Amino acid sequence: MVKNILFLLSTLTIFSLGVADTCTNPQVAATAYTTNDATVLTNIAFVAEFQLSCSSKVNSLPLYAEINGRTVPAARLSEANKYQVSWTEDLKKARSGDYNVNLYDEEGYAALRKAARSGEDPSAVKPLVTIVVNYPGAYQGPWVNTDFMAAVLAVLVWYLAFSAKSKLLA
Amino acid sequence: MNLLLVFLAVLAFVSGNDEEETGARLLVSKQILNKYLVEDKDIIVKYTLYNVGNSAALGVQLTDNSFHPDAFAVVGGQLNMKLDRIAPGTNVSHVVVVRPRKYGYFNFTAAEINYRPSEEVKELQLAVTSEPGEGLIIAFRDYDKKFSPHVLDWMAFAVMTLPSLLIPFLLWYSSKSKYEKLSKHKKEKTSKD
Repeated sequence: MVKNILFLLSTLTIFSLGVADTCTNPQVAATAYTTNDATVLTNIAFVAEFQLSCSSKVNSLPLYAEINGRTVPAARLSEANKYQVSWTEDLKKARSGDYNVNLYDEEGYAALRKAARSGEDPSAVKPLVTIVVNYPGAYQGPWVNTDFMAAVLAVLVWYLAFSAKSKLLA
Repeated sequence: MNLLLVFLAVLAFVSGNDEEETGARLLVSKQILNKYLVEDKDIIVKYTLYNVGNSAALGVQLTDNSFHPDAFAVVGGQLNMKLDRIAPGTNVSHVVVVRPRKYGYFNFTAAEINYRPSEEVKELQLAVTSEPGEGLIIAFRDYDKKFSPHVLDWMAFAVMTLPSLLIPFLLWYSSKSKYEKLSKHKKEKTSKD
């Protein structure tokens, strides 16, 4: 039963796609999550969830995201017009700072692919909307081990005492 | 991992409609990108969907019911998602970050996906992802014991060793300054004479 409903929904969306919806005056409300403690991880996860609202009442528009030259389809979530774009980056390669996620609709995505094929600058294609995912960097453990610090301090104290003693005896 | 994917491919092939030679075929892996699984710390779950078929997969729906809300809190992303299409030969990934609320052994099981292999086919193709398998979620206390920098402990150690260093030093310093004063006094006297 549920499957039938799902199927109906998916066919409905496919039919609605054929009508060539465009999103005018797009607005996004986005939340992003990046992992901030990398001590237990092998990769950094970037997760952006956003809700798209258009002044033209279009629903479940297929969206594509472009992040640093990679294009991925945005996953649709259970709530209406809510999407998720997520990717992972290697711990060492992930740079901190802002990541621009450019979102394109079907038309923009086609233009983007065409630009990439013909060797034009893909950034000339204007995205529908851009969201920014800030990655402040992740904690990857202390810079120096505290036991190492303690050993260095102990050696330092010993050296000071020893040099003072030899100065006295000299 | 590759072996697993191949196995899954075979599995999907067997469980799917065999007469359908053309059409989309999805391989889906579920990976845990963690070195350690720790209570109340992030666990990254990555689903990678790869279409090995020769047409686009339509209406792809991924559902993961293996993270019970009592045992896990979802902090980033969602466990249910839908993609309109996955073109043949392309990869799509989906990332969810969860935090375990409890510690102990946990069996990471497969998520379910369904999709339509081609435009004509009406029935949904069901498939499961790979299973990351059983993992031990360590209690935060144990993790902290092993990996925390122990700054407080070392500070306590320093405070405890301080008296045995400081007391002899102060004794020596006070006698030294006393003798220096004396000798200075003497020098001044002799220079005056």
